Amino acid sequence: MRYGLTCAWMAALLSLPAAPAIAQASASTRTSDGKPNLQGIWQVLNTAAWDIQDHAARLGVPAGQGVVVGNEIPYQPAALAKKRANFDNRATADPESKGYLPGVPRIMYMPFPFQIFQTPDHVVMVFEYDRGVRTIYTNGTPHPRGPLNFWMGDSRGRWDGDTLVSDVLYFTDETWLDRAGNFHSEALHLVERYTLADPDHINYEVTVEDPDVFTRPWTMRMVLYRRKEPNVRVLEYDPGRLIDEAQASRR
Amino acid sequence: MRTSGLVLALVIVMIASLAAQDNKPKTVGGCPAEPLAFHTCALEKAKTFTPPRTRSGKPDLQGYWRGQLSQSFSMEGVSGSEPLVGDKVMPWTISPPMIVDPPDRKIPYQPWAVPIGKIGVNYKEYVDPRTACGGAGVPRLAQQDANHIVQPDGDRFVVWLFEDHHVQRVIAMDERPPLGDGITVTNGDSRGRWEGNTMVIDSKNFNGYNWLDDSGNFYTDTAHIVERLTMIDADTLDYEVRVEDPKVFTRPWTMAWAQVRVKEPGFELLEEACREGQRDVDSLLQQGLKYYFGNPWRGR
Repeated sequence: MRYGLTCAWMAALLSLPAAPAIAQASASTRTSDGKPNLQGIWQVLNTAAWDIQDHAARLGVPAGQGVVVGNEIPYQPAALAKKRANFDNRATADPESKGYLPGVPRIMYMPFPFQIFQTPDHVVMVFEYDRGVRTIYTNGTPHPRGPLNFWMGDSRGRWDGDTLVSDVLYFTDETWLDRAGNFHSEALHLVERYTLADPDHINYEVTVEDPDVFTRPWTMRMVLYRRKEPNVRVLEYDPGRLIDEAQASRR
Repeated sequence: MRTSGLVLALVIVMIASLAAQDNKPKTVGGCPAEPLAFHTCALEKAKTFTPPRTRSGKPDLQGYWRGQLSQSFSMEGVSGSEPLVGDKVMPWTISPPMIVDPPDRKIPYQPWAVPIGKIGVNYKEYVDPRTACGGAGVPRLAQQDANHIVQPDGDRFVVWLFEDHHVQRVIAMDERPPLGDGITVTNGDSRGRWEGNTMVIDSKNFNGYNWLDDSGNFYTDTAHIVERLTMIDADTLDYEVRVEDPKVFTRPWTMAWAQVRVKEPGFELLEEACREGQRDVDSLLQQGLKYYFGNPWRGR
C-alpha cells in the first residue's frame, strides 16, 4: 500500500512537466498578433451577484465586501427610492427570477464560468449562464446608429496598451445590476477595462454612467480568476428552461 | 421599444425567409440545388478546392454563413399533398428532403417512434421547443438564421455562434477527455478535428430536448451526431450531418445542405432575445399543448 502510494506520487512528480500541456496555464501571454492573451475560462470569486455593495450575511446570501469603488452608488433621489423598493420586492421583481438574460455587467459576476476567445477582429465571450454571448468587436467599427435596445448591449473594443477597453451602449431598462435591486435605465453606458495582471488573473474594471439614474459615473472593480482544472468546460445553465421544467412538473 | 424592435426583427426574418423560399436558386456554389445532388457534387468539387488557412495552417472557415437549400418544415421534405402546404397562418413550402441517406430519404425510425415523429404526437401535443425559446438545436440551428464561425487564436477551439436565440457552440479541437455521461446539455459536448480540409464535429451528451424540424421529428439523449463542414469554394460550405441514436433509429442516417457566405457589407449577428419578449407560449399552453422535455420517449 505504502509502496503503491509512493509510486503514484513519484509518477505524479515525473509527469509534472507534461501537465501544463493540457492545463489552461499553458496559454501564451500574447496572441499571435501580439495582444495580451485573455483566452481561457474565467470566473469571479466574490459576492457581487447578490449585492455589489458591502453587505452582511442574509439567509442564503454570503456576507461580502462590495465591488463598488468607495462603496457608495450615487443614485438620484427618486432612483434611490426605486432601488429600495426593488430590494423589498426582489424575490419576484428581479429579472433573474424570470430567467431573462442578466445584461452587462451583471453577467460578468454571476457565479458561473465563462470563456473568452480572441481573433484580431473580435473578443468573444461565451457564458455558462443562460448560454449568454458577447461579441466585443475590435475591428475598429463604431457602435451602429441607434436607438437600439439589446439585453446585452452593443460592445465595441480597442486596445489601450495592454488593456482591452470595451465601450457598451444600447441597453434595455429591464436588467438589474445584482439581486439587491441595484438598477439602471436604457441610457446606461459602460466602459469596461480588462487587464491581465498575471497569466491567471484579469483585473476587471467597469465604469457605469447613466444620467437618468445616477448623479455621476461610478466604478466597480474586481478580479476574474482563471479556472485551472485541466478538463474544465463551460457547461450549460439555461434558467428559462429550468423554470419552465419546474413549473411543468408541478402541474 | 424593445418589444417593437423584436417584432420588427421577427417580421424581417419571416419576410427574408419567405423571399428566400420563393426565389430558390437553381444552383449553389456551382452545384445543383436539390440537396442530394448538391451534396454529391459538393464533395466532388471539394477535392480540387484549396481553402484559405488560419495563421497556424488550419482551413479557415471563418465568417458569417446562412443555410441554403434548406427548410425547417420537415427533414423528409414537403410534398404537394401535405395539408399544411395550404395553411392560412404558416403555410409549408413544397420542398425536397434534406435527407441524403438512406436512399428512400426517410428517417429510419424504430416502429414505436414513427407515430411520435413527423406531424405526430410531438407536433400535436407539445410546444415546439424552439417556440418555447430553447433554440432550434443541432442541426436545425444551421438552417435559415445567419451564423458566425470563429476560429480563435491558437486553434484549440472553434466557436460557432447562431443568431437563433443567441445559441453558441464551443467546439474543443484538442484531445481533452470527454464529459462524463451524467452531464447532458442541449447541443451536446462537441469535440472537433480536421480531416484534410474538413472540420468534423463529434457531439454526444445531448439532453434530448431538441426537435429536428417544425414537424416534430426528434432524437433523444443517446444521440451521437457527427457534422462535417467542407469548403467547396470561397463562399460555399457543404454541411453534412450524420445522426446515430440506438434508442430511436434503426440505423445511422445523414442530412446535407449548403452554407453560403453572407456578403452584405457590415453584416453582424444581432441579439435575438426570445424568452424576454415572447408572447406565444402561454396561449399555446392554454390550448392544451405541453412543454417538450422529451416525455414521449422518456423511460425507453
